Amino acid sequence: MTSKLDSAPLGTAVRITRIDWDILSHDEGRRLREFGLLEGVEVKPLHRGSLFSREPLALGIGRMQVIIRGRQAAAIEVEPAATA
Amino acid sequence: MTGAVPTIALAGNPNAGKSSLFNALTGARQKIANYPGVTVERKAGHASFADGRPLALIDLPGSYSLTPASPDEAVTRDVVLGRQAGERRPDALVVVVDAANLDNHLCFALELIALGLPTVVALNMLDLAERDGLALDPARLAQELGVPVVPTVAVRKRGLADLLAAIDGAILSHQAQEDADPAPPPTDAALHQRARAIARAATLSETPGRRWTQRVDAVVLHPVAGFVILLALMFVMFQAVYAWSEAPIGWIENGIAVMQEAAGRALPDGFLRGLIVEGLLAGVGAVVVFLPQILILFLFILLLEASGYMTRAAFLMDGLMAKVGLSGRGFIPLLSSFACAVPGIMATRAIPDAKDRLTTILIAPLMTCSARLPVYTLIIGAFIPARSVGGSPVGLQGLVLFALYVAGIVGALLVAFALRRSVTKGNAAGFMMEMPRYQWPRLRDIAISLWQRAWIFLRRAGTIIAMTTVILWMLLSFPKAPADSELRQVDYSIAGRIASGLETVVQPVGFNHDIALALIPAMAAREVAVSALATANAIDAGDDEDAMAQSLSERLQGRWSIATALAFLAWFVFAPQCISTIAITRRETNGWRWPMFMVGYLFLLAYAAAGITYWTAVAFGLG
Repeated sequence: MTSKLDSAPLGTAVRITRIDWDILSHDEGRRLREFGLLEGVEVKPLHRGSLFSREPLALGIGRMQVIIRGRQAAAIEVEPAATA
Repeated sequence: MTGAVPTIALAGNPNAGKSSLFNALTGARQKIANYPGVTVERKAGHASFADGRPLALIDLPGSYSLTPASPDEAVTRDVVLGRQAGERRPDALVVVVDAANLDNHLCFALELIALGLPTVVALNMLDLAERDGLALDPARLAQELGVPVVPTVAVRKRGLADLLAAIDGAILSHQAQEDADPAPPPTDAALHQRARAIARAATLSETPGRRWTQRVDAVVLHPVAGFVILLALMFVMFQAVYAWSEAPIGWIENGIAVMQEAAGRALPDGFLRGLIVEGLLAGVGAVVVFLPQILILFLFILLLEASGYMTRAAFLMDGLMAKVGLSGRGFIPLLSSFACAVPGIMATRAIPDAKDRLTTILIAPLMTCSARLPVYTLIIGAFIPARSVGGSPVGLQGLVLFALYVAGIVGALLVAFALRRSVTKGNAAGFMMEMPRYQWPRLRDIAISLWQRAWIFLRRAGTIIAMTTVILWMLLSFPKAPADSELRQVDYSIAGRIASGLETVVQPVGFNHDIALALIPAMAAREVAVSALATANAIDAGDDEDAMAQSLSERLQGRWSIATALAFLAWFVFAPQCISTIAITRRETNGWRWPMFMVGYLFLLAYAAAGITYWTAVAFGLG
C-alpha cells in the first residue's frame, strides 16, 4: 500500500519505494540524493508548514533533518516502514 | 614542501562546523576577499605547526558534493581540483564532518578522499554527538576511510594540535608515494551505501538521535506557537536595536563634538578648519553614530544563525513567502537587509534558484536599512509631536517609524509578487535545505564575525562617505557669495545651482531647495542626506551666533511644512540612494542590466509615494 510523501501523516516513519525523478528538475533530484533521500531509505515526516500554509515539509532522515516543498514530496512514493 | 608555506583547505558539508574550526585554528587573523570574477567569499588565515613552521589555511564554501549546485559549490570544486584561477591547488585537505551526521557527511568526504591529495578527516563536534547519545570509534573510521581521522571540538585546543600534527604527517608521507589514479566517480546511490556502511562500522552504540532538538522543535516549529515565538523574537530584536544603542550613540556624538572643538581650536580660521570641522567631522560623524545599531542587529542575526534558529525561521516563513513567489531561503537575506542591504544581497548567494535569488536581490533595498534611520529619526523628531496616540501608551513618533518599516515590507511583497509574474517569471521557487541541530553559539565566532562587520562599515564611512561629504562641502562653499548678494551662500554655491535644477523636477511632490540639495550627495548613501542637511545648515549659519545655537531640527521646522516632511519620509522608503547597494547588485548579477532596472523602478516608486503622500497631506491642510 503506497502513498505519496506529501500526504503522509506526521510522526510516522515511512520507507521510500519509488522516486519519480522525471517530474523533478535535475538540480532538485541531485539535492534529494545528496540529502540521502533514495529508494529504500526510511524517513519520518516531522513538521508541516505553519499558520499560513501547508508548505514546507520537514523530514527526519537518519540523524539529520531536511526541509523540502510539497512539490518534491509529491514525487516520492512511500509505504509504511516495517519498523514503525 | 620545502620553501613555500603549505596551503591547507578546509572542506565539508554545510553545518559541519567548518567555520568554527577555521576560527579556532586561525583566530582573528583572517583575510576575507572575493575569488576573482565571482562573488564567492574567500576566507583565508594563518596558523603554525607545533614547531613554529607557518601554514596557510583557506575555508572553502560548504558543499554537498563535487557536482556544484551554486557558485559557492563551484568554487569549492575548482579549488580542490586546482582549477580555480589565481589559486594554487591546496597541498592538503582537511575534510570536516559532523560526527553526529556521518551517514550524510561521509559521502562528500569519500569524494574528496578519492582526489588523492594528502587528506585528514576532522571528526568535528564530537561533544554534540555524544550529547545525542552516539559513541564513535575514530580509529575504525580511519581504517575504513584510509586516511587519518582526528576528533575535534572547536573550543578544545587538544584536538587542534592533533589535527595540525596529522596534516603535517599526511603531507610528509604523501610526498614519499606516487599519486594514485583517482577512481571513477561512483553513483550517488553507491556513494551513499558506502557512506552508510562505514558510518555503521564506526558507530559503537547509538540511541535514537536528536531528542533534545526534537523537543524544542515541537514548540518552535508549531504552526501557531512557532509563529508567535518568531514575531516575539523579531520584536525584541528591533526594540533592542533602539534601546541598547542610545547610550553608545551618545558617547560617539560627544566624542565627535570634542574632536570638532579641538580641531576648531587647533586650526586657524580658514579653508582647512572649515573643511575638517564642518565637512569631514560633521559628515562622517553623522554616519558613524549608527555603528551601535548595526552591530546590535547583526549580533542578533549572528546569534540566531549560530544557534540553528534561523533555519527554523526560514521554515516558518517559507509558506508565506511562497505566496509571492519567493522561498524561505530569502528570509535570512531580507532580515539582514534591515541592517544593511549589502550583506543582505550577498547572503542571497545561498538561494539556489536564479529567478528566486534575483527577485530577492531586487526587493532587498526595500527593507528599512539602518542607513535610513538617521533620516527617519531627524524628520520624525522635528515634525511628529512626541505624544501618545489617543491616550494609549503607544507613542505617535514610534508609530510613524513602525509604519515606515511596514510600508517597506508591504512594498517589497507587492513588488516581489509583480516581478515573479513579469520580469523574473519562472518555476515556483524550490526550498530544500538541511535543518541544523540547536547549539550554543560560540562567543568567539560571534565576536569575530561582528568585528568583521564593524570593520566593513567603518571602512565605508572612512572612504565613500568621507569623500562625498568633503566634495559636498566644497561644492557648497564655492564660489563664495559676495557680501552684498541677495542669495544665501548655500544657494549661491555650485551645489546650490545644481539643486535649483533638480528642484524643478521634485517640486511637484513637495520637495524644496534644501531637499533637492540633500538628495544629490545622498545618492552615495542615504544617511548622507542628514549630514548634507547638517553641512548646508552649518555653512548657512556661518558666524551667526543665534543661528548656530539652533539645532538642525529646529531650523528644519521653520523651513519645511509637515506635508513636505512626510513626503520626504515616503521618498526614503523606496529611493535606491546607496552607491554600495547598486555596486553590489551589479557584482551579484554580473552586469548593469538589473541594477539599472532596480534603480529605475525604485525611483519611480519613490516619486509616486512622495507625491501621493504630499498631495494627501496638503488635502488635509498640512501644507
